[in-house]
Amino acid sequence: MAEKRYGMVIDMRRCIACQACSVACKAEMRVPLEVFATWVKIVEKGKYPNAQRFALPRLCNNCGNPICTRNCPTKATYQREDGIVEIDQHRCIGCKYCIASCPYDVRYYNPLKNIVQKCYWCQHRVDAGLLPACVEGCPTRAMIFGDVDDPRSEVSRLLASNATQVLKKEMQTEPFVFYIGADETAMSNVEEEINYFTEPVYFPKVRL
Amino acid sequence: MEHGDVNVVYTVEHQLPLIMYIGQYFFFTGLSAGSFVISVIATLLGRKEFKPIGKITAILAPILLVVAPLNLIADLEQPLRFWHLMVYYNWTSPITYGSFLLTAYPIVGIIYAFMVYTDRQTPAKVLGILGIPLAISVHGYTGFILALAKARSLWNTAAMPTIFIISAMVSGIGLVVIIAAIRLKWFNKEASPETREQDKRLILQLAQFMAYTIMMDLFLIVSDVLVLLTAHSDALEAGMLILTGNFAPLFVGVEIILGAIIPMILVLGPTRKSLTAVVVASILVNIGVYAMRFVMVIGGQTIPLS
Repeated sequence: MAEKRYGMVIDMRRCIACQACSVACKAEMRVPLEVFATWVKIVEKGKYPNAQRFALPRLCNNCGNPICTRNCPTKATYQREDGIVEIDQHRCIGCKYCIASCPYDVRYYNPLKNIVQKCYWCQHRVDAGLLPACVEGCPTRAMIFGDVDDPRSEVSRLLASNATQVLKKEMQTEPFVFYIGADETAMSNVEEEINYFTEPVYFPKVRL
Repeated sequence: MEHGDVNVVYTVEHQLPLIMYIGQYFFFTGLSAGSFVISVIATLLGRKEFKPIGKITAILAPILLVVAPLNLIADLEQPLRFWHLMVYYNWTSPITYGSFLLTAYPIVGIIYAFMVYTDRQTPAKVLGILGIPLAISVHGYTGFILALAKARSLWNTAAMPTIFIISAMVSGIGLVVIIAAIRLKWFNKEASPETREQDKRLILQLAQFMAYTIMMDLFLIVSDVLVLLTAHSDALEAGMLILTGNFAPLFVGVEIILGAIIPMILVLGPTRKSLTAVVVASILVNIGVYAMRFVMVIGGQTIPLS
């Protein structure tokens, strides 16, 4: 069998920022409340009448050179042959160092299972020959998933014929989620800094 | 942010992965490494008047290092799986170096303390020389934990392990000064006035040494901040966060002024012969180093990544 390397192209010319991918992901992956494996970040640029909204669907990049697998102390998070970065939920000790290491902030701590989880491109669906839930749920076909090593796949054709961008190329992670026509502002960090003095979540919680 | 009229309409809130358990762990290992180094220096010099200091610090180091990893295990979301660290090790992860160093160092420390207390000089010296690289790496690796999480610009600097080692020395000496002063005041009353005078002189000498480590610490912090302010945009943001942003009161006020400059004045200034001033300086130094752990661990994570 030929080697595979899965990848995803997100075509921002088609994305309508409807959050259908977020909802599909929540349902398929059973993501608990308050955390997300996939979401659509929306920013507003400019002043009326020259204002415009830009969206950016965010999910794990399943990097070619992931920092999380390098920093995981127990090899609980590892990369499959086809590039999907997986988490062994029986091996994860919940040190959360991978969350701190990830430059894309796509990992989350699951308070129900007490381990770290993230998007793994619905590996269980992909292995069964289906598409990831977010791709299946996208109403405008803005998300395209497939084998980037296969020159006949739709992903490869889009990558060959379009200008694409990836998030935080400077981190040397080789992300495999490619964006077409993504806005530079939406791709950079424009969030407000969190003030942890007004929200003291840094104190240890006693959990019995 | 230089983007002008930009408004974030929707994004998700991210968790704070490393909380103050990690900061406290850094603080306690720092105290342990600092007191171990002082103890070995006292043993190697072998002078009779250094004996009490050598003994206090020899027992302090393993005790603090038993407390420190408890913070780590409490921080795990699956505490009962802590043994996975030993069985499923990953040599590219700094936490793996840590789990082995944290096992080896207390063993050496306890045997060393036994040798010091039973007054066996030669094995104590050998174990001390073996233990110093262990003590330094036990604390240095914690710097690598932060430095290798490279997305966080406040952490990702090659100076981080050195900053941690030097601040460990500062706080460790501070703790030794406090405990030696308590011993002098309340627990060593039957000793002759000459011994007491000698002990006091020793404490003052230790405090002088602490002032020099504070100077090194300040130099490292200044160079770190200078580079942050002139490097890429994320680093600038991190620099402004600790200089003028949310963490400025803790960084400038507590860590630099209260925890470094005032103790240095107390120890090197006109009050340098006063035991009270030296003890106050040591307490302030420990508060400052604790604030430094807070600024590093929590402050480093407040800069959003998406």
